[in-house]
Amino acid sequence: MTKRGASVDRSFRGEIARYIKDPISTTEHCRYSLMCRHVCPVGNITHSETLTPHGWALVVASVKRGLLAWDEESVDILYKCADCGLCQSHCGTNQPLPTAIAAARAEVVEQGLAPPQVLAIDKALQKWANPYAKRAPRKVKVKGVIGLYVGDAAQYLHPSTLEAALKLLEAMGVNPVLVGVGCSNGFLASSLGLAATATQLATAILGEVVKADCGKLLVMSPGDLYAFRTLYIERLNLTWPLEVEVVEATSFLYNAFKNGKLSLNRQNATPSYAYHDPCHSPRVRREYEAPRQLLSTVLGTAPLDLFWREQRAHPCGAVGGLEFTQPELATQLAEARFADTHRAGASLLITEDPLCLNQLKKHASFGIAVKGLYETLAEGINE
Amino acid sequence: MLNDFQGDMLWSEIEEVVGQKNVSTLAADRLVYSTDWSWIPQMWLDRGIQPPAADFVVHPGSAQEISAILKIANSYRIPVVPWGGGSGTQGGAIPTYGGILLDLKRLNDIIEINEDSLYVTAQAGVNGSQLEWALNEKNLTLPHYPASANCATLGGYLAPRGSGTISTKYGKAEDLVMSMEVVLPDSTIIRTPPVPSHAAGPDFMRLFLGSEGTLGVITEVTMQIERLPEVRLLRAMLFKDITTGLEAGRRMMVQRLNPLVIRMYDPSSTGSLVKEVLGYELQGAYMIIGFDGWEEIALAQEKRALAICKELGAQDLGREAGERWWNHRYDFYYPPWGLHLPYLYGTVETISVFDKIEQLYHAKKEALEKTFEDWDLSYIGHFSHWFPWGASLYDRFIVKDPPQDPHEALKLHNRIWAVAVRTSLKNGGMLNEHHGIGLKLSRFMRAQYGPAWQLLETIKHAIDPHGIMNPGKVGFGRGPGD
Repeated sequence: MTKRGASVDRSFRGEIARYIKDPISTTEHCRYSLMCRHVCPVGNITHSETLTPHGWALVVASVKRGLLAWDEESVDILYKCADCGLCQSHCGTNQPLPTAIAAARAEVVEQGLAPPQVLAIDKALQKWANPYAKRAPRKVKVKGVIGLYVGDAAQYLHPSTLEAALKLLEAMGVNPVLVGVGCSNGFLASSLGLAATATQLATAILGEVVKADCGKLLVMSPGDLYAFRTLYIERLNLTWPLEVEVVEATSFLYNAFKNGKLSLNRQNATPSYAYHDPCHSPRVRREYEAPRQLLSTVLGTAPLDLFWREQRAHPCGAVGGLEFTQPELATQLAEARFADTHRAGASLLITEDPLCLNQLKKHASFGIAVKGLYETLAEGINE
Repeated sequence: MLNDFQGDMLWSEIEEVVGQKNVSTLAADRLVYSTDWSWIPQMWLDRGIQPPAADFVVHPGSAQEISAILKIANSYRIPVVPWGGGSGTQGGAIPTYGGILLDLKRLNDIIEINEDSLYVTAQAGVNGSQLEWALNEKNLTLPHYPASANCATLGGYLAPRGSGTISTKYGKAEDLVMSMEVVLPDSTIIRTPPVPSHAAGPDFMRLFLGSEGTLGVITEVTMQIERLPEVRLLRAMLFKDITTGLEAGRRMMVQRLNPLVIRMYDPSSTGSLVKEVLGYELQGAYMIIGFDGWEEIALAQEKRALAICKELGAQDLGREAGERWWNHRYDFYYPPWGLHLPYLYGTVETISVFDKIEQLYHAKKEALEKTFEDWDLSYIGHFSHWFPWGASLYDRFIVKDPPQDPHEALKLHNRIWAVAVRTSLKNGGMLNEHHGIGLKLSRFMRAQYGPAWQLLETIKHAIDPHGIMNPGKVGFGRGPGD
């Protein structure tokens, strides 16, 4: 008996298993497949056929055939993909189109045709390992059982996220080794077609992880989880140390809460709120319930449902380098998150990814306030 | 074709209506919109040839803006091609004669979900799956589940008279529509009465169902919806051949068991598609049957259906095999499982009454395989949309090694279609059941309708005297003024 919401089996056999490993044939096949258009946030915002997964694939395929050339217009189109992974995560045959688009961007970079913003980011990443501050990353000096990847956004854009996460962990008696402090995880570079820089950053992170000697590495966002679990292996051909388990901090905290190792107090006078699944959420197998249950405990009520949530969660614009290369589109994506929140009837939007928090706070509208998830939870710690 | 001066003047007029950011002449946009999901333009692009492209890709934001655009198009006598999701397989949305391509996806508001009377009113450009998700949030559904739901629009459901997976119980998209707003070619905006039925003269709303943008632009629609069923019971059966399978399906339908779905794959499809996508190695005709609604009623209907299947010697493959199909029913259309280039292929689907449907299948199989034996043409089919008096045959041809020259490939493609269509018409079939006419079947409309075709042409000329609306499609005209 089929009940609603039955999950789809994603196991593939024989030829298809080999096929999905090949990003070049991906654009050839995706150019005429419209089956994932319904989830593409950029297509949804722009209403343009060209700015959809099949549109990008067709542009790449047409350049190969000499029907189009890489020029300012077509490169601009190529850099409008958010690399959010929604198309692949909703694909019946798991086509790695985001990887194929990143590969096409790498060709554009190699041909010297990348937008100037991309080259500026490349320089910053190579020199400072982040695009936000002219400061070198801090090296890991100690070892520990549990590590916490800090990255660049929590270090430079939204430090209260890190402070609150550490406070929560401390309340459980966990003092993690900080890894990758001020260092990009390499996703931004990979997404923009800066393959060598992405590899350089990822290699540095991997070195830190080995030095820290931790068996469990906590990450504060699904974006970091995606980078370490998938991107390093599938796009950058690197090997993640098998002995190091990568876990989202929300899942870690939720487990601790369920096991009585973390005690949280309910706050008073909570406004109606919604929860934004951070960028990349649909492309990782995350525990959607964890952040929601934690927030429900502290705020006393469950978050209101956004339309674009969980498996179909739309990004806020802080993804794929859009804030640098396509600021107007990044703003539109952020505005769409607030329109969704407004329709849900919420006056507060909560999320945990520091990059999302930075983006959402910049573009808050409809009188909706934005707050960090870890910050919210930290206020509920039983001292 | 417009000269540069006319082009600039026209661009300015369009920009004044929709705003600068909603009109494009970018090369990439013109290329992407030059192909829908049909084989002809895809093959051209694949071989490095640019198919005919629109001069302007326009994204209107309201029926009023579309009305203003049509006024401009009439004054310049240039074609207007409405575009929903571009998921048509017949070339209905390709801008064969250039002009203005109207992408309707900005018209995506869901205006009202009425839970008392069970209807939804939405703009025509809303995406099918997004509309369904919005309904599902309220435990409702629009029971039209086409394979193209992820990419098609609500207007695109209706313009070519589409069918979905569960049409056997709930009808085609056209059976679910209650009313619509249409912008006529002369720019008038009309609305049909928003009632379940009436007898106030001819039902002119139906004129726009199947018109594929040749008689106007559908901009808003009210559709009948349903509550999500308590259960969906899926089951797979294996028949030794299509004769027994068709008889089982016929009995289920004439005994009015009201199945949600009956889908029977012929032995060739069972041995290829079903094996590849679902992983079952079977010989014979794989059939899915399904019932939904209140559990006790669905179980009773299913019990009778199983008795029919048993009587005809079918092997019951159980629920898991049926549910596996349901959960993967759209996977057949993802790459690389969907038919794809460099193959030459087409879906020459048709429909007939029960007493002719099997003969129709055999006649088409024989005609296509024999006529194109030198091309090693293969023919597969399934019977997927059932009616109380007959069934549709969703049959396809595939040539794996077609001519490399695109012009020769197109000629072969058209010859194969001609044989398929003529065989259908000769054996009690129809031009199609649900894929529409578009460009591909346009040339066969006179043969299909005989003297009745004149009536449709007269209506077309009365509504669209300058012939601006989607010229070359549905059998109407070759361009403005024709």
